[in-house]
Amino acid sequence: MINHGTAGKGGDTVAASVTELRLKFPGEGSFIFKDLSLSIQKGERVLLLGPSGCGKSTLLQILGGLIPHVIEVPLKADEIIVPASRGYVFQDPDTQFCMPYVDEELAFVLENRGIEREHMVRQMREVLDAVGLHPDELHVPVDSLSQGMKQRLALASVLLLEPEVIFLDEPSALLDPDGRKQMWEAVWHAAEGRTLVVVEHRLEEIADRMDRIILFSPDGSIIGDGSPEWIFRTFRRELAQYGIWYPGVWENFIRLMEIRQAEAENSASRSGLTPLLALKKYTGFRANRPVIYVEAAEVYPGDFIAVTGPNGAGKSSLLLSLMCLLRFSGQYVLCGEGIPETAGASRKRRKKVCPPSDRIGYVFQNPEFQFVAETVQEEIGFSLKNPGMTSLNQVDETSRRFIRSFHLEGLEQRHPYQLSMGQKRRLSIAAAVVCGQPILLLDEPTFGQDARNTFAILDYCLEMQAKGAAIVMVTHEEGIVRHAATRVWEVLDGVVNERPDAGLHEERRVGT
Amino acid sequence: MIELLTPSRATILQRANPAFKLVLFIVLFLVTVQTRSIDFAINQAAVYTLLLFILGGFPVRKTLLIVLPFMLLFISSSSTMILFGKGDTLWWQWGLVRITEESFYRGIHLGFRSIAFAAEGLLFVSTTPSVKLFYALMQSFRLAPRYAYSFMASIRLLPMVWEEFLIRRQALQVRGARIRGKGLKGLAEHIRMYAVPLLSQSIRRAHRVAVAMEAKQFEGQGGRERTYFYPSRICWIDGIVLMLLVLASFAAYAAALHFPWLGITDVRYHA
Repeated sequence: MINHGTAGKGGDTVAASVTELRLKFPGEGSFIFKDLSLSIQKGERVLLLGPSGCGKSTLLQILGGLIPHVIEVPLKADEIIVPASRGYVFQDPDTQFCMPYVDEELAFVLENRGIEREHMVRQMREVLDAVGLHPDELHVPVDSLSQGMKQRLALASVLLLEPEVIFLDEPSALLDPDGRKQMWEAVWHAAEGRTLVVVEHRLEEIADRMDRIILFSPDGSIIGDGSPEWIFRTFRRELAQYGIWYPGVWENFIRLMEIRQAEAENSASRSGLTPLLALKKYTGFRANRPVIYVEAAEVYPGDFIAVTGPNGAGKSSLLLSLMCLLRFSGQYVLCGEGIPETAGASRKRRKKVCPPSDRIGYVFQNPEFQFVAETVQEEIGFSLKNPGMTSLNQVDETSRRFIRSFHLEGLEQRHPYQLSMGQKRRLSIAAAVVCGQPILLLDEPTFGQDARNTFAILDYCLEMQAKGAAIVMVTHEEGIVRHAATRVWEVLDGVVNERPDAGLHEERRVGT
Repeated sequence: MIELLTPSRATILQRANPAFKLVLFIVLFLVTVQTRSIDFAINQAAVYTLLLFILGGFPVRKTLLIVLPFMLLFISSSSTMILFGKGDTLWWQWGLVRITEESFYRGIHLGFRSIAFAAEGLLFVSTTPSVKLFYALMQSFRLAPRYAYSFMASIRLLPMVWEEFLIRRQALQVRGARIRGKGLKGLAEHIRMYAVPLLSQSIRRAHRVAVAMEAKQFEGQGGRERTYFYPSRICWIDGIVLMLLVLASFAAYAAALHFPWLGITDVRYHA
């Protein structure tokens, strides 16, 4: 273990610490932590870094006293110091609240602390101010807030605990760039004078604000402990390997893209091609209300289209209506074949239009929802068996080929639910494209994924793009928009517009 | 669903103490259960339905929509009794179906009582937000906070499950997964296709909410004295509501005595 000089080691300056910690999850072979010692000083801002599954979140929960008091996990340690007052912000904005309204949720914390009713509203306003939320009314539904605002509300309710130490467990992993920025600003404002312990994969907003980074290896031991500059300088290779979004993570990818682009320039331009998909005056409906409108758009083989826009603008609705899962009106030509409008059509005619799964592969945001089979192998073979055109042998062979190219070897007989996050994601893409569809629609496939998974997903997409498939991907990831996409569709208030091509290329050149 | 049942008008019933109101409605329920007179049953059904229009807080058209299924309720609950009930004065017989005068009146009586039940229940539900009810139960009836808050938290999670159900349906359409088999086998297949992903998500989510609640120093065992954001007090409004509801059922009873529709005071079958 490398220790880079921290302030005096007196007992009263320690905010939280563990000594000689050993922990093993029941039913698992190896230790998560073996004889781990770590101490965090008062007033420090510490970031715990490491690959997925190395135990950072578990450690955070131990330091914060959630393990073993709330979540029972057998562990052994010589000493664990847990701060007397502490607060937690978790990853998922939707599962941190138990009450339907903002004031009720904040009151929940005050009630737990036994604060008198007369003081409640004043304290609520104070903490909401501190995190930059200024609702005119306190009694607003929590679900009317955006995801980023929800995380700030979670931070506000933590502030009501008057915590000495604030623990943040990947608080911005599920936010869009704007929400992320505002949330971290609120954190810096609120954390003034407090100790901060953070687990996070995305470092753009936080790297230069941290006093100390502790880097973990996949086996849960500490390999680096020091200032951010020192960590970034010394452990560059490890950071890339662990899938961390460190500053400059895109550089490798940009270099690869340039090589690919040079190759692509030799191949034919798209002027001679017929579009795979063409839309004209196309409107998608949800519950008879128009939610998405496209004046005119075409998708050609070899396109990589990034669909961007704020939450709720209609990006998912666009993909769903292209898949005929929402009713639509207007002209929709898919692979040279017109698809009859479903809005206003009779029930009988609507019934005839089923999702064109043979021509469009669709990857849902949460992979678990699209799994239909009991094993990985069956899952991949499932769509092949459906049309009843291929023999069993062929199905077997194709699924094996996809298992290989998506790096799922050795997992053939596993249940899809027993895979890791990245594996589930890969399986969902493999199962969606196994029929060789020329168009692939993806709904935020890199959402909440670490850098390694994101680049793996991008690699598959680029590979298919090179083979002549068209990729349409909803994404918030600036890097994808800037470096991987060939075209960008912006969705604003339910209207799709193409971002001018020239600007995009210029931007790319500036970026490199 | 939740928006559908949120009243648009504020009525006096909404301002009453939910715990007190619960007791009051349980008493009304018991009165309806014990009703033997067919006239009293009819009057109760009429009075509570009227109250639902006036004090339910919905616009009249929406109330009409809610009241519409009452017809179905009436037919379904009364028809079995009418067609198969016991009785001596035979009106019509065909195979197993045997309509007698006694069974007919008993069926009607049952039908009106179900309407009365439904109207009472709806009147309570539509004027009582669940959060306020649990706050009142915690304070007035010493309901353990851990039960109250787990109920309130799970109500918040329900719409998410519904949303996921819709996503799962779309995903199955996209994957081209057709449910094989009909009847019971098809039903089992349906459950298998939907239950596993929805349950696994819900269980994970519930666990996370529970951890987040405890991280906010929630102690289900009730170690520290809790304070309450919404106070639960009995005030003059509760007195008015009490008088109103007692008056309503009393009026129904008095009307049945003085202006009987059918004049049958006991519909029970005496052999």
